[in-house]
Amino acid sequence: MVKKIEHLEMVGITKRFPGVLSNNNVNIQIKTGEVLAILGENGAGKTTLMNILYGLYKPDAGKILLNGKQVSINSPKEAIALGIGMVHQHFMLVPTLTVCENVILGLSKSFIVDIKTATQRIREITDTYGLAINPDAYVWQLSVGEQQRVEIIKALYRGANLLILDEPTAVLTPQESKELIQLLRNMSAQGNSIIIISHKLHEVMSLSDRVTVLRDGEVCADVCTRETSQDALAQLMVGREMAPCQREGTFSPGKAVLELQEVYSQGDKGTEALTGVSLTIREGEILGIAGVSGNGQKELAEVIAGLRKLSKGKISLNGKESTKMSPANIIEQGLGYIPEDRLRVGTIPSFSIWENLILKDHHQRPFAKHLLLQNRVIMSHSSSLVEKYGIKTPTLETPTSSLSGGNIQRVILAREITRSPVALVAAYPTRGLDIGATEYLHSKLLEARSNGIGVLLISEDLEELMSLCDNIAVLYEGRVMKVIPVEEANERVLGLLMAGIAEQAS
Amino acid sequence: MDGIINSEIMIIILAAGIRLATPYLLAALGEMFVQRSGVYNLGVEGIMMMGAFSGFYATLQLGSPLLGIAVSLVVGALMGLLMALVSVTFKAEQGISGIGLYMFGWGLSGLLFRLYVGGITSVEGLKAVKVPLLSSIPFLGPVLFDHNGLVYTAFLLVPVTGFILFKSSWGLNVRAVGNKPEAADTLGVSVVLIRYQCLIVGGMLAALAGAFLTIGQANMYADNITAGRGFIAIALVYFGRWSPWGILLGSLLFSLADSFQSMVQVLGINFPYELAVVLPYMVTIIALAISYGRVWAPAALGKPFQRGTRG
Amino acid sequence: MKKRVFSLLLAVLTLLALSGCGAKPTAQTPAPAPEAPKVEKLRIALVLPATVDDLAWGQSMVEGLKAVQKTMGEDKVEVAISEKLGGAVDAGSAIRQYATQGYDIIFAHGSQYQSVLTEIIKDFPKTTFAYGTGFTTHPNVFAYDPQAQEGGYLLGMLAALMSKSGIVGIIGPMESGDAVKYNYGIQQGVIAGKAEVKSRIAYTGSFNDIVGAGNMAKTQMSAGADILTGSSQQAVGALRAVAETKNAYWLSTDMDQSGIAPDHVLAAQVYNWEKIVKKIIELRKAGTLGGQHLTLSLADGTIELKYNAKLADKIPAEAKAKIEQAKKDIISGKLKVELPKK
Repeated sequence: MVKKIEHLEMVGITKRFPGVLSNNNVNIQIKTGEVLAILGENGAGKTTLMNILYGLYKPDAGKILLNGKQVSINSPKEAIALGIGMVHQHFMLVPTLTVCENVILGLSKSFIVDIKTATQRIREITDTYGLAINPDAYVWQLSVGEQQRVEIIKALYRGANLLILDEPTAVLTPQESKELIQLLRNMSAQGNSIIIISHKLHEVMSLSDRVTVLRDGEVCADVCTRETSQDALAQLMVGREMAPCQREGTFSPGKAVLELQEVYSQGDKGTEALTGVSLTIREGEILGIAGVSGNGQKELAEVIAGLRKLSKGKISLNGKESTKMSPANIIEQGLGYIPEDRLRVGTIPSFSIWENLILKDHHQRPFAKHLLLQNRVIMSHSSSLVEKYGIKTPTLETPTSSLSGGNIQRVILAREITRSPVALVAAYPTRGLDIGATEYLHSKLLEARSNGIGVLLISEDLEELMSLCDNIAVLYEGRVMKVIPVEEANERVLGLLMAGIAEQAS
Repeated sequence: MDGIINSEIMIIILAAGIRLATPYLLAALGEMFVQRSGVYNLGVEGIMMMGAFSGFYATLQLGSPLLGIAVSLVVGALMGLLMALVSVTFKAEQGISGIGLYMFGWGLSGLLFRLYVGGITSVEGLKAVKVPLLSSIPFLGPVLFDHNGLVYTAFLLVPVTGFILFKSSWGLNVRAVGNKPEAADTLGVSVVLIRYQCLIVGGMLAALAGAFLTIGQANMYADNITAGRGFIAIALVYFGRWSPWGILLGSLLFSLADSFQSMVQVLGINFPYELAVVLPYMVTIIALAISYGRVWAPAALGKPFQRGTRG
Repeated sequence: MKKRVFSLLLAVLTLLALSGCGAKPTAQTPAPAPEAPKVEKLRIALVLPATVDDLAWGQSMVEGLKAVQKTMGEDKVEVAISEKLGGAVDAGSAIRQYATQGYDIIFAHGSQYQSVLTEIIKDFPKTTFAYGTGFTTHPNVFAYDPQAQEGGYLLGMLAALMSKSGIVGIIGPMESGDAVKYNYGIQQGVIAGKAEVKSRIAYTGSFNDIVGAGNMAKTQMSAGADILTGSSQQAVGALRAVAETKNAYWLSTDMDQSGIAPDHVLAAQVYNWEKIVKKIIELRKAGTLGGQHLTLSLADGTIELKYNAKLADKIPAEAKAKIEQAKKDIISGKLKVELPKK
């Protein structure tokens, strides 16, 4: 049986990657029953540090002390044997296997898998911690939140009593996040140690006992959660003071730039994803789309961008009907689009930054003349954008896929906004971004608004919607429950509408 | 036309179908493991040729088809190992390396035949073994229980491989590695090892399929003896959706169509022979095309595994 | 990726279905002959679709060439052979290479080489090319053409006279060229031999799938055939299947196949390539580089009927006499074995 982890310490951890000093002399420690949050912006080195603890990377310097004794962890297997479990941000589950099979994968020593006994043990674990899950279900049938629970069960089944969770709430709905936090509290109360990696302040505040803040690979603070505040942590993390973004000036919309009339469309599974959506976005307006994801948001963005067919209805863009236009025509008509999957849909991952920056205009002047790309023009254009939008990159030739999420979003933003569109569709533009990047994106969206662009902002973050939007439409099961002016919106009203309850909301 | 399909003719067609299904079944069950682990080996044909030659040659030299089978299994394992080295360790593009293995197997088996045998020679191959009691059941007896050992082996392998794949811990590892190797890797399952093992098992079964052709059917060897059967076997893996029972169904469908069309020709039933000859292929292609949209291939099929260098 | 492999598979399958046999991408490069050419030495090259030891079409030609080499002297005649050139592209490049290396006579031993040749011959007007089965000639191209139906007729008669079950099974590769002629001869011979005996043709769809041919022979026998025959390389597979039974016999064509199944091959139609090769050499010496359609027939002895000595006593004397009479009639022209009308 795995020994109990009373106390774990990482001392002087340094890890270099080509061109990056990811961890520089980092020290952290945690003891039984404690919840430690490792807070930091994207690229601060949080994940690297935890991957070292889990045996995925070897540190260039430093040591790990377990219950006061130095240990070397060279593989996840060794980490597991020491009682360390990790739940990755991207789940490490095999979708075609059942929950039980996923849990026991790699454990069985006998030739025949004893599913019965394993199921029994899984039930014991789920009962102990109140993790509702059916061991016989296939992982592909589970929701994201349930899959995360499977990951936790996996670690517990292997006897983990120190659990590392990498950005555990990034993929969860607000409800699921709440459940997770409850679960983790419960687990720590039963004597498990938990490390969570996060950049979400409220989550850190509500869950952790102690916070270690990382910035640029170094520990810049190690504080008791009770003795600090959200603002103080934000400052520590970003390294400067934060100015909250707020919509300002009066709302004086112009003519309609994007109009949807009774739009119907099918989702990927062939079911109706949009059922009669009508919306109007005017010049200088930010219209928010609220709703639990999966209620037609993705399809809504795609039908507007021309990437998905309508089964019924009409869309007009800048006064012209765009229902049957090709995506290229729609771009030409003045639609900017920040897609949900920023890496794979928003950019071509293997293309360099300059290539992605001119992706939509490479065929026309000034970037192309007589079928040839005008390199000098392109390069000066690209480097000015990189500077203006603060894209952190070694060179213009760097493949976009190697940038952080925030920087990829800046590349997309730079490309979309400099094209001065009449309307901009932004789907979950700040999802997974850290505070600094989010703040920057918010300011850019507001700037677009004051430049007279009509913005459609799809988001799950109600706070974000309420601080940026002029009007908020709530999407539920493919239809618009209601469009309300931001002055009338609050969490309760929106929450009810998001749950599909219309009457009491008004 | 003296061809009425009576029960005697039916027995002939069905028994021949069972016999003809054997090489496809063996090779496809092997390839099933390979693909389940995330590698597709297009070199099955080449391994079959090597298995066909080595089984034949060992039988010729040692006088025992059983030793021939043993030798072909070893040769098949080596061919699988070679594919593993190229596609798993060196991470070569799998389609290309598979075709390379096919060419290599074809060339080498032809060369060895020329060097060590020299001309068409026949051997005493495996004899049909009637299963006591069962073979005297009317109708079913001659259809199912009057074949040589490899035929029984191939059909017994269907439930056996099914059990291994779905009930054993090794099978669980294989399924995990083929679908999400990163996940298996984090749990201490060696992706490389599993893929090596699958390619070796696949190689052995493909070689056995080849040996069946030379010492279980033709009892001689000639260049290109497999005549495309390895590729059919790969198609049958897709057809059977990576499951032993599906592969069994596909193999039987193909070979029953083949034995049926042979009989149609032999009985002189008025049917264009060109169509008759392509019938099994057409049946398979159509079934494949219809079923493909809904298949669930191993998600990591064809992707070399590389542990992330930067998380 | 998955899609791509899948479509690749479909393509391969379709190819297999269409051709009925495996593709042949490999080629053995022709053996180069670096030594300084002596003035007198005649250099002959042979390009084969299958192998030199196929016990059929290819091997019979190889043996013919070897015989010529032996009688004319090894120092006088050089023979180079490239085999396994089923694909037109590979065969074409081999033929061209031989021509470039200065070979005098190049045998492209397959009807499928006809179109390849027409592209090459103009570049080498001094070289003699020969191919068959075929009849289209050019100034430097001979076409040779075995009258396979003649021997087939005689074998068909033998089959009918020997069959106890009254069923003769024919295992064809594909319905083309030589095989059609041979099968046609067999069918007519069977009728002439004994009117009530039936002949049944089944095609494997492949020239070289010996396993397929073996299985087809098993099916034929299980459906009653006791005398079997078939042409092309695949036929040895059928012969082997026959050899495993007690009471069935085989009739071979192209060459005598009794070597591998002495107890089962009753008789054979044998092509005497030596005579054809010699004739081409003579013509070339006399200044005729091509342009002639050379037939192999019973009349000039380039086709022979050969009985297996070991089984000679199994064949009744009257049957032999009847066949001998038919042979005479064919040679004299009294009996015409018909060919399928095109």
